[in-house]
Amino acid sequence: MGTSLENKLYTGKSNPGKGVLNGSNVGEYENPLRDRLIYLTMCLIGYRVEVQLKNGSIYSGIFHATNAENDFGIILKMARLTKDCSFKGQKPISDSTSKAPSKTLIIPAKELVQVIAKGVPLTWDGLTSGVQRERRQDIMTDSLISQSQVVEVERELEHWTPDEDGPQCPELESIFDNPWNRNWDQFEANKSLFGVKSTFNEEFYTTKLERGPHMRELEREATRIAREIENEETHDLHLAEERGLNFHDDYDEEARFSSVLRGVDDSGYEESEDSALDSHNSDTFGASSGSVISRSFSDVVRGKTNDGTHASSSSSLMDEAQFTQLNTGRDLCHFGSGDLAKQLPSDFVSKSFTALEGENRLHENRFREQNSGNNFPKDFEERKNVSEEVQPSKLEDAQSTLNLKKAISDKGGLSPSATAYDPSSSLHSKGQDCEIPFGKASDSTAKEHDATQPVNSQGRPGSSTSSTSECVGGTSALSGPGLPPTSSMGSLSLGKSTLNPHAKEFKLNPNAKSFIPSQTPLRPSSPGAEGSFYLPPNATAVQHIHGLPVGIGIQPSFGHQPVIYNPQTASIQSPQAYIHPSAPVYGQQMILGHPRQFLYMPSYPHEMPYKGSDF
Amino acid sequence: MATDTNNGDEFAVGCLLAIKTTLGEEFEGQIITFDRPSNILVLQEGSKTGPRRNVRFLKANYIKEFNLLGQAEDPLDLKKCYLDLNSLQAREESAIRQAEIEAERIGVGVTSEAQSIFDALSKTLPVHWDKTAIVVMNEVRVSSPYLPENVTGGTPAANERVKKVLELERKRLQSRGQN
Repeated sequence: MGTSLENKLYTGKSNPGKGVLNGSNVGEYENPLRDRLIYLTMCLIGYRVEVQLKNGSIYSGIFHATNAENDFGIILKMARLTKDCSFKGQKPISDSTSKAPSKTLIIPAKELVQVIAKGVPLTWDGLTSGVQRERRQDIMTDSLISQSQVVEVERELEHWTPDEDGPQCPELESIFDNPWNRNWDQFEANKSLFGVKSTFNEEFYTTKLERGPHMRELEREATRIAREIENEETHDLHLAEERGLNFHDDYDEEARFSSVLRGVDDSGYEESEDSALDSHNSDTFGASSGSVISRSFSDVVRGKTNDGTHASSSSSLMDEAQFTQLNTGRDLCHFGSGDLAKQLPSDFVSKSFTALEGENRLHENRFREQNSGNNFPKDFEERKNVSEEVQPSKLEDAQSTLNLKKAISDKGGLSPSATAYDPSSSLHSKGQDCEIPFGKASDSTAKEHDATQPVNSQGRPGSSTSSTSECVGGTSALSGPGLPPTSSMGSLSLGKSTLNPHAKEFKLNPNAKSFIPSQTPLRPSSPGAEGSFYLPPNATAVQHIHGLPVGIGIQPSFGHQPVIYNPQTASIQSPQAYIHPSAPVYGQQMILGHPRQFLYMPSYPHEMPYKGSDF
Repeated sequence: MATDTNNGDEFAVGCLLAIKTTLGEEFEGQIITFDRPSNILVLQEGSKTGPRRNVRFLKANYIKEFNLLGQAEDPLDLKKCYLDLNSLQAREESAIRQAEIEAERIGVGVTSEAQSIFDALSKTLPVHWDKTAIVVMNEVRVSSPYLPENVTGGTPAANERVKKVLELERKRLQSRGQN
């Protein structure tokens, strides 16, 4: 053991971590050169070295000790002969049969010619312990870092500096020149050398750039928009890091730069209203999803108040982005979607809404407000009546929207209409809850698209249109005195991305009770009260609207359950339609609201919880 | 001159030398130290920056001839020289353990062909040596000359599997050998 050597030479002195060992017993004077030898020898301990003997043979083994008192003898462990130059033969080892390595091999000084060691650290910087130092010098793979408990401290990153004795290739420097500075055209070269003519036309792959007098203006506008987007405040850790905003210092390297973030909280909308919604939602969706729903709901609610005429609050969970689109016009239908809403392109929503006249909505709103005291079903009916009045005028609009809805439903996906809800009286009375005229919306849609929505195929004469308008109006009706300001809506109407970066991800609550529509008198017989789903005008958009969860707080008995629009009703046996907000991958999970109920549990046992991030 | 300048030059830390040994080896290196009593010259080779270096301990007796190429500064930064005995010990222990594991894989008294077969089999199957026989999955034995007919033991399924793998590996070794 090396220590024995040390003890031999330096009686009683043990200076780990000190500088060059000195005070050798050999000789009466300090011999720094000798000390160096000792030090270097000790550096070899534990490393595999090659020892050449007088006869030329080479042994490879782990350096164990040396006897450097008078001469330089060596002890190796696990040594094997790699080159045999003894009398027996001069052939390389590989041809002959192998021999077991020697546990310990002593090489006397007289035999020794040289000892060669490669990659031996001779110096250390810092005060880290030897073991750690060894480890740090190894290449650290990602998995090593994340698994190892030792690496807590961030690695010291060093600026790369080129090797001093690295190859200097001045001719390569010009490669990094600007393309127009280089006096070499690769296309010309190819053409002349190989006869290869380039047929590349940029316009095949991108929009034709109109370089005209307006070019500068357009450019300016484009840069402005780009800058706006890039400087947007974001809560996403990785986006923030890209933009240079550093707000989370308590993440480790892996979380900061590489890992996918899950369960990002929507931290920007902590309002007191959430709590009330939370309580309603919690038993339905479980804590996490409940809060998501409630939050989205309150977001929606808030968003609505931006509307000048009335604070429209969407009781359903709605994608904020959607909101934007909806709000840009006078949209009032909101689709709860939770995380899935992110995928809901807003365009179809806006389209559907812009088709509807605000006037009609206004009418609806007023009507609704008058009915603040009524229970839902009655409301529904009345609304329906009202809508029927205005129906003729809106027929065209409804038609167009319905057509759009149909198109959307054909493609499947969750129709945002599904999330349309009717913020009816209960909302007002509670100030927090929102009724969801979801059924209505789906109803109407169903009516229009009998073929595609078997589940919802209950004849609803005229209810479709009405429901549409109801849907539209309904949301506006949400605007009640007690509703919180729709700040989210405001932010949405900036024409930005339709995805809701702040929506909390939906977490499937497997324990949530399945909603079983009961034939309760609560909903006496409002055929029109059935899911009047509002179909978004843009069919393709629906693809992304997976399980827009409509957080609806109709009546206490119903709790907050999202309504789901699913064009593929064929697959549904039970009269349960639900929105599964977490099914972005397969938009086919939307189930058309059952005619008899329009509140559905968002938790579908077979579906996988959505764990996506922003699209 | 020889001895004097020899000593003088060999004393100077940092000198760059080109050395030819009596065994016919030639190399260049920078002097880290020279110990007169034992006549050992320690050279640093290569131009690696950083703490890891290639080091050569040469007994000066075997220097046939040398040339002074130049003089550079001390390759060893004395301020950074530390020795942690614990880590030395740990390092040695782990190296020995590693070497033992590797030694297990090498058959004693077996031809290199046998060793290649062993190595090839070990890529996909758990194998170990039993004298000169390869034992696969503790059941199947492959004895010299390691042909498919030498595969014995184990369940029929395991036996078949080992036979197949052996055939494949032999084929691969053959084709590689031809290349």
